Amino acid sequence: MPELIITKNIDVPGIDRLDVYRQYGGYEALEKALHEYQPEEIVELVKKSGLRGRGGAGFPTGMKWGFLAKNEPRYLCCNCDESEPGTFKDRMLMEKNPHQLVEGVIITSYACRVSTAFIYVRGELAYAARQVQRAVDEAYAAGYIGKNILGSGYSLDVIVHRGAGAYICGEESALMESLEGRRGYPRLKPPFPAAVGLYGGPTVINNCETLSTVPAVVRNGADWYASFGTEKSKGTRIFCLSGHVKKPGNYELPLGTPLRTLIYDEQYGGGILGDRQLKAVIPGGSSTFILGADKIDTPLDFESVAAAGSMLGSGGVIVMHEDTCIVDAVLRMTEFYRDESCGKCTPCREGTYWLVQLLERIEHGHGKMSDIDLLLDICDNISGKSFCPLGDAATSSITSSIKLFREEYEYHVREGCCKVGPKARKPVAAAL
Amino acid sequence: MISEQAKQRMRELAARYPVARSAVMPALYIAQAEEGYVSRAALEAVAEALNMTVDDVESVATFYTMYYQRPPGKKVIKVCNSISCYLRGCDALIEQLERRLGIKRGETSPDGRYTLLTVECLASCGTAPVLQVNDEFVENLTPELVDRLADQWEAEFQAEGQSQGRSPAGAGGC
Amino acid sequence: MAEEAKNDGLVHLTIDGIPVAVPPGTLVWAAAKQAGIEIPIYCYHPKMPPLGACRMCFVEIEKMPKPPQTACTTPVSEGMVVHTKTEKVLKARRGTLEFLLINHPLDCPICDKGGECDLQDFTLRHGPGATRFDLHKRHYPKPIPVSDRVLLDRERCILCQRCTRFCSEISMDNGLVMINRGYRMEVGTAPGQAFDSIFSGNTVEICPVGALTSAKYRFKARPWELKRIPSVCNNCSVGCNVRIDVRVDKIMRQMSRCNDGVDDGWLCDRGRWDFDYVNDTQRLRTPLVRRQPGGALEPVGWGEALGMIAERLRAIKERYGAKAIGGIGSTRTTNEEAYLFQKLLREALGTPNVDHHHGIFPGLRDPLTGRPWMLTTAIADFERASHIVLVASDPYERQPILNLRIKKALKAGARIYVVNESPTELDRLATRVIRLPQHGAGAAARLLLEAALRQENLRNPREEVRRRLQETAQATQQAETLCGEEVAAALRELAREIVTAPAALILYDEMATLAPGCANLAPDLQALAVVTGNIDRPGAGVGPLFEDANSLGARDMGLLPDSLPGYRPASPEGLSYQEMLSSDAVKALYIMGANPARHLADGNLRRGKEFIVVQEILLTETAQQADVVLPALTYAEKDGSMTNVDHHVQAIRRALRPLPGARADWEILMDLAALLGHPWTYEGPEDVLLEIAAQHPLYRGLTWEGLGLQGVRTGEVEVAHA
Ligand SMILES: Cc1cc2nc3c(=O)[nH]c(=O)nc-3n(C[C@H](O)[C@H](O)[C@H](O)COP(=O)(O)O)c2cc1C
Ligand code: SF4
Ligand code: FES
Repeated sequence: MPELIITKNIDVPGIDRLDVYRQYGGYEALEKALHEYQPEEIVELVKKSGLRGRGGAGFPTGMKWGFLAKNEPRYLCCNCDESEPGTFKDRMLMEKNPHQLVEGVIITSYACRVSTAFIYVRGELAYAARQVQRAVDEAYAAGYIGKNILGSGYSLDVIVHRGAGAYICGEESALMESLEGRRGYPRLKPPFPAAVGLYGGPTVINNCETLSTVPAVVRNGADWYASFGTEKSKGTRIFCLSGHVKKPGNYELPLGTPLRTLIYDEQYGGGILGDRQLKAVIPGGSSTFILGADKIDTPLDFESVAAAGSMLGSGGVIVMHEDTCIVDAVLRMTEFYRDESCGKCTPCREGTYWLVQLLERIEHGHGKMSDIDLLLDICDNISGKSFCPLGDAATSSITSSIKLFREEYEYHVREGCCKVGPKARKPVAAAL
Repeated sequence: MISEQAKQRMRELAARYPVARSAVMPALYIAQAEEGYVSRAALEAVAEALNMTVDDVESVATFYTMYYQRPPGKKVIKVCNSISCYLRGCDALIEQLERRLGIKRGETSPDGRYTLLTVECLASCGTAPVLQVNDEFVENLTPELVDRLADQWEAEFQAEGQSQGRSPAGAGGC
Repeated sequence: MAEEAKNDGLVHLTIDGIPVAVPPGTLVWAAAKQAGIEIPIYCYHPKMPPLGACRMCFVEIEKMPKPPQTACTTPVSEGMVVHTKTEKVLKARRGTLEFLLINHPLDCPICDKGGECDLQDFTLRHGPGATRFDLHKRHYPKPIPVSDRVLLDRERCILCQRCTRFCSEISMDNGLVMINRGYRMEVGTAPGQAFDSIFSGNTVEICPVGALTSAKYRFKARPWELKRIPSVCNNCSVGCNVRIDVRVDKIMRQMSRCNDGVDDGWLCDRGRWDFDYVNDTQRLRTPLVRRQPGGALEPVGWGEALGMIAERLRAIKERYGAKAIGGIGSTRTTNEEAYLFQKLLREALGTPNVDHHHGIFPGLRDPLTGRPWMLTTAIADFERASHIVLVASDPYERQPILNLRIKKALKAGARIYVVNESPTELDRLATRVIRLPQHGAGAAARLLLEAALRQENLRNPREEVRRRLQETAQATQQAETLCGEEVAAALRELAREIVTAPAALILYDEMATLAPGCANLAPDLQALAVVTGNIDRPGAGVGPLFEDANSLGARDMGLLPDSLPGYRPASPEGLSYQEMLSSDAVKALYIMGANPARHLADGNLRRGKEFIVVQEILLTETAQQADVVLPALTYAEKDGSMTNVDHHVQAIRRALRPLPGARADWEILMDLAALLGHPWTYEGPEDVLLEIAAQHPLYRGLTWEGLGLQGVRTGEVEVAHA
């Protein structure tokens, strides 16, 4: 078992309490940061570590911090809005080891000279929010947050803010709108948050896992962290394994670990549910392109997954075995985007509505052969034409599944029923 | 009616943030905890505390799915039906719940006990299928577990019904 | 491109091969417009920040990632090469239109917007030939009233957010909002809440489709049947530019006609919809005379009516002298009419008694600056103010479009201070609200001035002001007693703010000066601005907010007992408005477009009067008491100029054929002058304007043609000449 970084202590009983967290070296990184480093030195350290964002885009974290405009006040938003289907790591980090996250937030705030930090917790995760709030309260009481932290002269205010049910608020600019008390519409970029962000101030936004990694990087050094992973994708990350595997769950692995290892290794996925054949894998949450079973040996790092035709995204690896009706599965994912589209821009709002209707009719055996190309054309009119990446994301599963499994769509149209899965061989319309 | 105490908490929240209207979401939670949903009184209280118009508050509230626009049942059951739960058979469990509770997804039972909702991925795909009862998770659902849960809820309502004079706890708190 | 051309401070780019030079920061959309290239837009509106939501305005820009780009959100850059008609662009636009149409009903034939609908137009020019959508459209119950005046048809809505952003960005009253999310999104209000805004009509106007319609115009006309005439709203002193849309000599609607210097492209609901009096069937269509005292008003011909006026006025003049005649002019007739009115009274009848209903301003000019009583700032410069202090004024109710300009200033960082007796709409957005006791405005002005003078760092400490205050020290005492300690302290604090403000703008309502104890409101606030150096600095200023469309014009034209046109002192001075109404020495009243009966406690004008003439459009309380009533025309039926609150002289234009039987006020005055032995030779209002321009410094050089479509702001001319 490779060395664990973020989840190392996750199963220690009571690690969510300050005293236990401290017994395991908690807040040492913060002390070190405050007493041994200038803020800029931490930015450099994180740059050198090669840490990249775990929220989806994989943007180099230190570089993002370096872009911050110099004016004040500056803000930090920790993105704990985890809502990407297939992703469930941030929830675990918040529920089980909230102090690690809070320590990361404080160190990052110090590095970026931030005076107010927000932790935006997805509304549905009420327990996670309570855990984070308690950790913040404990940290205030212990002097890790507040005025003149540990005598360093640095002061920070941390506010835990709960979302209320909107996937789009995970998008960084929509998150800021939401924090400002508005509907979660994404903002026009540029200006980027690093220049004009929350309340108009320079703002750094990082994912929960990204910031939970920061204490370890500071404690053990950039070189140590960079020794994990691959040349360009350094360190470890949590892969959220779900779907048709024997042992779904969160597994922290060095980047570059082959997909096969994650799915089949006894320590991790343990193989396909019911020992069936693997059909397809979504490697980075439902927004990323579906990969066929032939890509099973792809190393899980940003570059290799991109080369295989998808994205590492949020690390949500969704596994589908041979009995999965791809049309039904894609319909399910497309409904998500229809329901979660913020509605601001036309292609995403109207396009996802149309896509769902078309997929429904194909799935229910009323489709036309021309519907398949129509789906692709609608996807083309959404992708790259939408205001924010959610529109693009809505099309990934459709375009990639038609590319890989077109004959299954055609089968639906021709036979009026699913080719595989529980609804196969009997016309769906009749079965309803 | 929103209590004076709740209004006071809203005003305190408004002061906690750099800009008052940032408190609209927590304030809506506070109001919803008292009213069960975002009632007219809730809109007015939030609008007043944060110096917004009621329309403005309504606009924010209706963007987010966790603010109820109608009174929900005492137990709000949210079942995830996104991709990972789908792959793990959530659809059958939803149908099972519909049968057990006698309502379809999206509905509230006439006696006001249950609201059954299907919701998007709850960040629990590793323990799929999952549901939430009044925001608390129940993971690794099986048909047996669903039956046990339904029995347990029934029992709770029974017990409540017997202890006269005590009003049941409100649903949808924060 | 030549090097020297590039040193012009502009950004150079080509759009579809056409070279364009525009200021930095210009959006590609606007640059294309300048080059005569139409890029379709829905969500974008030039008066609001870019949104980029509708995804209609696609263009392709060389060397930019991931084409196509949205032209409404992309600023130009040097050397940019833009294409607006590539296959990629056309496909993307077709795609967006197809998306918009999947839920749009096909009810163009009965839709009010049919014929002037951006969706209809752009579909024709950029859209798909046929829809490929053969599934279920979203359905909503038919139009719902969001207020008494605005209806919403949600099926037609394309969710461009123009209307809701107007409410959040421009009017800031958040009345109309987006409800729900995603494909369920709709425009609306909170349950049971009406869209209650004086600016609601703007949302109807900027709606690019037929989703928002006006209850007043709904189903009244088709756009292609309308004659459109550029004019100016007659409702208040702002003088918003309008387009009067007419069908068969009826006003169907008034639309905004953007004048950046005046209305910034907006119109209030009163301006937009309160024109019923023009179309009113009760309009006066024939002269009326009362043959004997106590008798009824009877219709007669124009010759008889005018003859009777000339004869009776001559008789009164012979019997009591010219001073027994008084003239009460109008704040809503044109400059030319006001000018001729006083000329008739002063020259043809020989009486000095000329006035109109207005606020109290001591003397012709403010002694400290030597200029006539008027706003010292341009409306457009409100945006540059750092502090806006509203004393006893409520633009939302009285000069609505100024309220929007103040909000624009607020967005640009100005602080708002409301010093008023009753709540105002701006209170919600104000930095500070100081609530005055009844009739407390005069006291407040006094205390502000007093407190300002006590500051050390005054920009312009004027001895005469200090002296005046010392001489009337007990007024300060009284002011303090009236306001109470708390308010007085708040006012002192505000005065300190004004002293150090980079640019304070101090506004008060003209009519507030009429309240008891407020006679010095105008001079005290003017002095406050002068001593604090808030005159003639960008954004700073002081001044009255006038009441009516030509209130300032009436002053300019000498409808004042002490002033000839051009603020030349009148000698002798005549009687004031109140004096004419109450004095027994005045036997005849000539009233043009005014309703003084409203200002008398018992409404009785006749006391001591032997003869009353009224030029009016309707049989008002005043007209009912007249001996002769002459039917006049409205602003929509004649030409002329009006002068708004910041001294824009603007043209109103004849939009309708005049009501048969009625005549323009200036025509009536000319005929009467001739009967009185003064045959004037003006061919029309344009000649009168030339005569005004020849003798009035504030109108120097103006001609009818020169007023153009946007008018001319001449406030500073006189100052420059003075
Ligand atoms: C539609 C959409 C949803 C997103 N949801 C999340 C999310 O739930 N959590 C998250 O951390 N990032 C999410 N992101 C990515 C964020 O916009 C942002 O890139 C990220 O939080 C930056 O953090 P990182 O650099 O640490 O990855 C989302 C992006 C998009 C476009
Ligand atoms: S693509 Fe458009 S509608 Fe979809 S979430 Fe982004 S902004 Fe909203
Ligand atoms: S006009 Fe450009 S996106 Fe709407």
